Amino acid sequence: MNPEIVPIHRKESLGEDGMLFVRTEGIVDTMVKIPLLVASMIIVAAIMPIQSSFSSPRTLDLIIYPDGSTHVSTEIDVDPLTTDYELDLFGSTIDNLVAVGENDFLLDTDVLGDSALIETFGSSVIFVEYDIHDLVSKQGKVWTFSLNAPSDFTLLFPKNSVIVGMTGLPINMKIINDKNQLTLSSGDVEINYLFSTPDSTASINSISQPDYITYAIIGGVVATAVIGTIAITRSKQKNVKPIQNEQLDQTTQTETIDTETIFKLKPDIREDDKEIVKFISNNGGQALESELRKKFLQPRTTMWRAVKRLERNGIIEIEKKDLQNLVKIRKNMEEEE
Amino acid sequence: MKTLAIFTILVLVFGTVSTSLVSDAYAQNDPNILLQIAEQADKQIKNQLDRSFGDSVPSDIENLYDQGHKAVESLEESLPDDVKQAREDFLTAMKLFQKISRMTSTYTTEAKVTASDASDRDLKSELNRLDKYFQNLKSISEKQNTGIELYKIQKLFALANEQIDSGDNQEAAKTIEEIKSLIVSIKKHIRDYSSNSASDRVKKFALKQLERIQNILDKANPKIPELEEANSLVKQIETLISEDKISDAKKKFGELNKIIKIIKKSIR
Repeated sequence: MNPEIVPIHRKESLGEDGMLFVRTEGIVDTMVKIPLLVASMIIVAAIMPIQSSFSSPRTLDLIIYPDGSTHVSTEIDVDPLTTDYELDLFGSTIDNLVAVGENDFLLDTDVLGDSALIETFGSSVIFVEYDIHDLVSKQGKVWTFSLNAPSDFTLLFPKNSVIVGMTGLPINMKIINDKNQLTLSSGDVEINYLFSTPDSTASINSISQPDYITYAIIGGVVATAVIGTIAITRSKQKNVKPIQNEQLDQTTQTETIDTETIFKLKPDIREDDKEIVKFISNNGGQALESELRKKFLQPRTTMWRAVKRLERNGIIEIEKKDLQNLVKIRKNMEEEE
Repeated sequence: MKTLAIFTILVLVFGTVSTSLVSDAYAQNDPNILLQIAEQADKQIKNQLDRSFGDSVPSDIENLYDQGHKAVESLEESLPDDVKQAREDFLTAMKLFQKISRMTSTYTTEAKVTASDASDRDLKSELNRLDKYFQNLKSISEKQNTGIELYKIQKLFALANEQIDSGDNQEAAKTIEEIKSLIVSIKKHIRDYSSNSASDRVKKFALKQLERIQNILDKANPKIPELEEANSLVKQIETLISEDKISDAKKKFGELNKIIKIIKKSIR
């Protein structure tokens, strides 16, 4: 009534000599099937990227205009065997839609709500551009960009805009013509930005307009003096050597910026950072990062952060010298300011 | 042999699965950009608070700002060694700043509007968008040698820019409307031109497609009611193509494709 449960591997006892006999038909079967299995896996592996690539954007670039409308440009792989392709747009208020196929043929499009039917007629890649007014909203002074992106994308912000909130991590950031361009991952993204007023721009960058004029006048006077000196000297056919020295002196004078000027140009820098700048300046305008660590008795990371901070502020530049960081006070700081 | 085969299978399985994993992976080029963005946001929020409230910043907002500022400091401390912590600090700071900017908006303002609702028209942005659109069309037109005259519209763009710069918005709006209607006619010209010059391409594609569709029809159950209509459309398309009536053929193709979808389902 209660038969003893015997594990399968114990049903057949081993022979006296302890040899294990294994049925070979199964292995032969498996060996015959393995090449088939491998072949089918190769096919699957080859097809999968093709399948996933159709209808997914190859590139996606967005530009936000100052009025909150957004320009979308995308390149999409499509099935060359179909006559048309239905593109999901990012909203329904669309303007200026252009779809171009291979060989730059303008493709016929029909926008219906938030999708566009594009007559691809054998194209395997299409380029679509359009303007959309649904991605950015404004509340008070805060502009909010939100998108559920189908792929990684770039987003170029308007000039003078400052990001003040975001829900995800950017992959990269670039500055293009004074505008911030972020590279972001696919999925839901929400970014808040504000337009900085002239006051805040001045406080962020510590720029004052009259400085430009002053520097331009000084530069102009110096340049005129140098040109005048050269002209007079040439006309008198004197030896040029002393003039060269004079020129060199002048350039070094203009190139070397004293610490007071730096602190005037960059009033926001921290007191401990000012000490570092003073030391570098007294050290002939350059110092190794290791020297700074020794001088200020700071750990490696703290000093690295301080140096990076000064680099970001545009006060110093970092060069590699014999596998060490050589920190130099920037010579063209005034010009840039 | 067996080991090799199993190894190959494992590699293929990994290769197949890894494509889906890669898209979820997160790669950041330089963690310093987090600090740059956060510091910029911190400064902007501080300026915003100073301007909006002066010395009397509401305590709830001040608390949030303090937390956000601390998160930025912590982010700075975390770099370059602890990137994971830096990311957390960045998200914390940006979420707090986001909250502050929303709160300051509600203190000061009005309802939420989308860009399309905004009543005050930004003519410069509108002109820039139109220019981008026009540049696209111009590039297509030049590549296809359509010979369309673009001088007039280019002149209008320059005029609209001048009008906007001089503050003559009323005239600028009129010029922009003129540009829009010109762009519509340029696009129509290009489309007509490309549909003529592209007829060979479409013909080639259509004949290839008809061959493929015919194969599907041959396999279909002869009792399906749509089959007769499909066969008739195939013949009509062939005739239209032979007569060079490409745009009519395109329309018929649309109808045929719908029927083919139904027939395909019945084959399965």
